[in-house]
Amino acid sequence: MESAVRIQEFDDPNYDPFNSDEINFGDHADPYPLIARWRAEAPVIEGGYRPLMGLPAALYPDRKMFTVVGSSEVNEVLTDTDRFSNAGYKFNLGVTFGQGSISTMDNPEHGRWRRIFQKIFLPQYVKKWGETIVDPVVHGLMDKFLPLGHADLIEQFTLRYPFEVIYHQLALPEEDVHTFQRLALGQTDYVNHEKAIEAGRKLGDYFTALVEERRRDPGEDLVSLLALTEVDGEYLPHEVLISFLRQLMNAAGDTTYRGTSILLTALLEHPDQMEAIRADRGLIPQAIEEALRWDGPVAVQMRMAAVDTELAGVAIPAGSLLDVVAGAANRDPEIYADPDRFDIFRDRKPHFAFSRGPHICVGQHLARVEMTRALHAALDHLPGLRFDPDKAPPQIQGSMMRVPRHLYVRFGD
Amino acid sequence: MPTILVTTRDGQELSLEADNGLSLMEVIRDGGADELLALCGGCCSCATCHVKVEPAFLAKLPPMSEDESDLLDSSDHRDETSRLSCQITIDDGLAGLRVAIAPED
Repeated sequence: MESAVRIQEFDDPNYDPFNSDEINFGDHADPYPLIARWRAEAPVIEGGYRPLMGLPAALYPDRKMFTVVGSSEVNEVLTDTDRFSNAGYKFNLGVTFGQGSISTMDNPEHGRWRRIFQKIFLPQYVKKWGETIVDPVVHGLMDKFLPLGHADLIEQFTLRYPFEVIYHQLALPEEDVHTFQRLALGQTDYVNHEKAIEAGRKLGDYFTALVEERRRDPGEDLVSLLALTEVDGEYLPHEVLISFLRQLMNAAGDTTYRGTSILLTALLEHPDQMEAIRADRGLIPQAIEEALRWDGPVAVQMRMAAVDTELAGVAIPAGSLLDVVAGAANRDPEIYADPDRFDIFRDRKPHFAFSRGPHICVGQHLARVEMTRALHAALDHLPGLRFDPDKAPPQIQGSMMRVPRHLYVRFGD
Repeated sequence: MPTILVTTRDGQELSLEADNGLSLMEVIRDGGADELLALCGGCCSCATCHVKVEPAFLAKLPPMSEDESDLLDSSDHRDETSRLSCQITIDDGLAGLRVAIAPED
């Protein structure tokens, strides 16, 4: 059957959302020394994280701002939902993903919809996707560069596989994928927010048509599953459903691409630890957790003060925005000895990379499955994996969202 | 104010005075057992406050929701005594309740 669903390109065909990363998320090679200096001053400092890092404004409303870098204060803000609300995201995520995004909501409204998404992404269910979806995608990508003996693991692998997993989950028509990825990335170009809004609108039109089509002719895919999900005898509210689908590329694709890139980079920078994993694959889970702690892809989350309150002795007026720096808590020397060191053998302590509190990452179990499958595949198929001595070594960069741009490797000889 | 008995993963026994109205998770955390991670803060959104309940007390607990049961299914250590401690509200009827913190997944 010819699909009636049409995907629309950006009005400006020359716009390149792939170039939006540095201006939106920063190009700092290492923001951690600066964060450590802030932490040494006080757990809560005045001013927003973006201006403190020298980044341009990005769809933030004009409010008093604070940056939270103490780990117990980070935990307090993320878990005390009576004092700290997610409503701040209505000004940016809500504008592009839609105000039905559960990231913009507080409980009980948030919990009403979250429980539906949460159930789909529980470990017992996502484990199956590891075999049926993730492995074929990972192997398909690796097969293309295996005979060459060299690759850029970012361009040819990590930047592609989590997105391809989503295309399979959604059962997107192949011919829509190129435009779909451009729109999905453009949605978070907050510095050029008219592009982000255009992308959100066009993805919304696309998903609306896709949902209608799958309700008429459902398949085994995630769009069909969500389109047919009922709560108290009714479909999910349209805005909640479309917002979730819009957010999925960013929440499940972009983060996993970054997390896997950092994991592979860290292990290649520490060949002894890579060798230890080669000798004992049982070390993979702790390697993944350490990579997420050491340099997690999402450095900052935002909350809004719901009431006049105080945090670590600092008066926070109601309506203020707080940039909560998970990347600071994850390098707190009081919790993690020698925190700047990547060490898969360190004492296992829970990290902040998937956040804390009611908004703790819904997709965390799928992320772990994907990273696990990616690392197994690299160990299985890329013997002697090492940096390419003829190319520049990788440089993880960014102050909001982190990733290296390239990871040139050699293998096999 | 009922007393709750908690066994930690290394076998230590804690006797905790529990305020009515708090969740069992909060009582255990406030009692100093940091190993009960409760990463979501107590809203049935993770399974890191998993405890094993002494069988004699199971019938006194509030019934288990489908969401709680789904989350417990994600644990390799679930058995018929498993509960998420954030879903249990303390009252006088739970005096002497005995639970053990489940192994980490």
